Amino acid sequence: MIAKILPKHALQNWIETLREHYRIIGPKLAQSQFIFGDIHSADELDLSYPTTILPPKKVLLPQREDLFHFDATGDTHIVEPTFDDEPTVILGIHACDMHSITLLDRVFERGTADQHYQTRRENTTLVSLECIKSCSEYSFCKSMGTLSIPEDFDLHITDLGDEYLLEIGSNKGVSLLWNFNEVREATDADFERLNKVMSEKWSHFTYRVDFDITELPALLSLSYDSKVWEELGDRCLACGACNIVCPTCYCFDVRDEVDFSLCSGGRFRVWDSCQLDRFAVVAGGHDFRDARAARQRHRFFRKGKYLTEKYGVVGCVGCGRCAQACLVHISPVDIFNELHRRRVPSAATQEEILA
Amino acid sequence: MSSTKPKIAFFDFAGCEGCQLTVLDSLQTHTELLNAVEIVQFREAMSERNDDYQIALVEGSYTRPSDEVRLQAIRDQAQIVITLGACAHLGGVNAVRNAHRLEEIKRYVYGEKAEVYEAASARPISDFIQVDAFIPGCPIDREEFVRAVKSLLQGNLPDIPDYPVCVECKLRETGCVFLYGKTCLGPITRAGCGAICPSFGVGCEGCRGLIPNPNMASLREVLSENGLDEMRVKAKMSLFLTNQIATSDMEA
Repeated sequence: MIAKILPKHALQNWIETLREHYRIIGPKLAQSQFIFGDIHSADELDLSYPTTILPPKKVLLPQREDLFHFDATGDTHIVEPTFDDEPTVILGIHACDMHSITLLDRVFERGTADQHYQTRRENTTLVSLECIKSCSEYSFCKSMGTLSIPEDFDLHITDLGDEYLLEIGSNKGVSLLWNFNEVREATDADFERLNKVMSEKWSHFTYRVDFDITELPALLSLSYDSKVWEELGDRCLACGACNIVCPTCYCFDVRDEVDFSLCSGGRFRVWDSCQLDRFAVVAGGHDFRDARAARQRHRFFRKGKYLTEKYGVVGCVGCGRCAQACLVHISPVDIFNELHRRRVPSAATQEEILA
Repeated sequence: MSSTKPKIAFFDFAGCEGCQLTVLDSLQTHTELLNAVEIVQFREAMSERNDDYQIALVEGSYTRPSDEVRLQAIRDQAQIVITLGACAHLGGVNAVRNAHRLEEIKRYVYGEKAEVYEAASARPISDFIQVDAFIPGCPIDREEFVRAVKSLLQGNLPDIPDYPVCVECKLRETGCVFLYGKTCLGPITRAGCGAICPSFGVGCEGCRGLIPNPNMASLREVLSENGLDEMRVKAKMSLFLTNQIATSDMEA
């Protein structure tokens, strides 16, 4: 492991140095909750943040993103794709959100690679942050196996108290420390401190899912006709908040906008949500998921089965944002556990059967 | 000189005329609008008046039987009728009166002269004539109005969002007002306003009307769980939604 030590008091200078070459995005307070936003100085950045309203996904796949613009006003018709290649650093990404980026990378490279995503991704440097305490009462990363950082970070920060240990994961990560002389090489003593933090952290997180998460795809397969979905459909407001705050949701709608001349304009995409009433409406007006129950089932099958089968990584990273955002208290942990409870006969019932 | 620009006329029924003011305002911020269309009638803004129009934009709610005659004349002339704002779309705040006996309301407002004035329930325009599209809100959103005009220029009807305000709140990362002990009709109300009220810490009052298929029962439970008693839930839902709730409850 190649690692450096950054004293906390040098954070400001580091950010100033980085700002000469990069746009810096990090967790900061907005109203009374945290969001990922532009960081201009170390005062704004809060690396002890709990969780954010939207995940850092929004930097790589913005809520509204221009795809191309056209101009047919003159003799030559112009159609030009729009790419955002501004060098960007996302600072302080929690492990769950790093896992979601691993998934998004796979989603947007498969088939016809998404050039808009890939351009942003290539020009973005990911600085992850070791989670050493639970960030929210809703999170369940330990159960989903997403509490350990995946390997595709560029730089990984662990808070050692008065200093940060920076583990270098790639050349992009090396570049962030280029010409910055306020870091020093990590020593054996530093690695010992790191080991202590790493071994102590696990007890600060609890397992909240009652079964081994590798059973989840099979459990869902068996639960397709469960009554749970109807019950969820009765409660669900179909407000779409769960999808919008989810770090692994990536569905979008594509729209056009023209200028008054009707000869120029552009195409853009906006985030969409499978919980919304018209999401599955097709030509001719048919809606193949018009019931809220069917939409909720679809959502949980995406998170617990389809994405895992298609991309080989977990589709829900246990960040808990959807549960926190849900006004009717629909929580993946509760749903997974309820499906498991209804599937497995209770001990008492088994005894009754035996008797 | 004959013009190929679409001829547009504005009409007002019962309302505060705030939507027409928003249109006037948008003519100043988007002056291209004036080159794109020909306005032939707009009492709020000009003295000329011509009844040769293709597109009628109707603001305000129906509130008296004689409105029906005027509305029918507009429908007979216009190829496209579009309502402007919550009053025309839903009956608006005016429909608060629908919960009371009309005779009592008339006496309260007009006193001894109650019998002189004509009045009826406040109703949406679409209860009386066929409406091709609506631009919702109290008042309308300026950018949405501009987009609607562009759609019309392209030969399309305006594309108004049919998802709830919660989507826009989350997209712009506004903290949910329920977290601050307030209540909000965002989960059942049509978006398109950019969630402007919650962004100022105020819960949505539903001025853009219900989304298709709102889960009313579940939202009522949420409101009750967050401290609104039945009377206050009813009050909240009758500021803008009187006519729609009456319909959706009948269907439920």
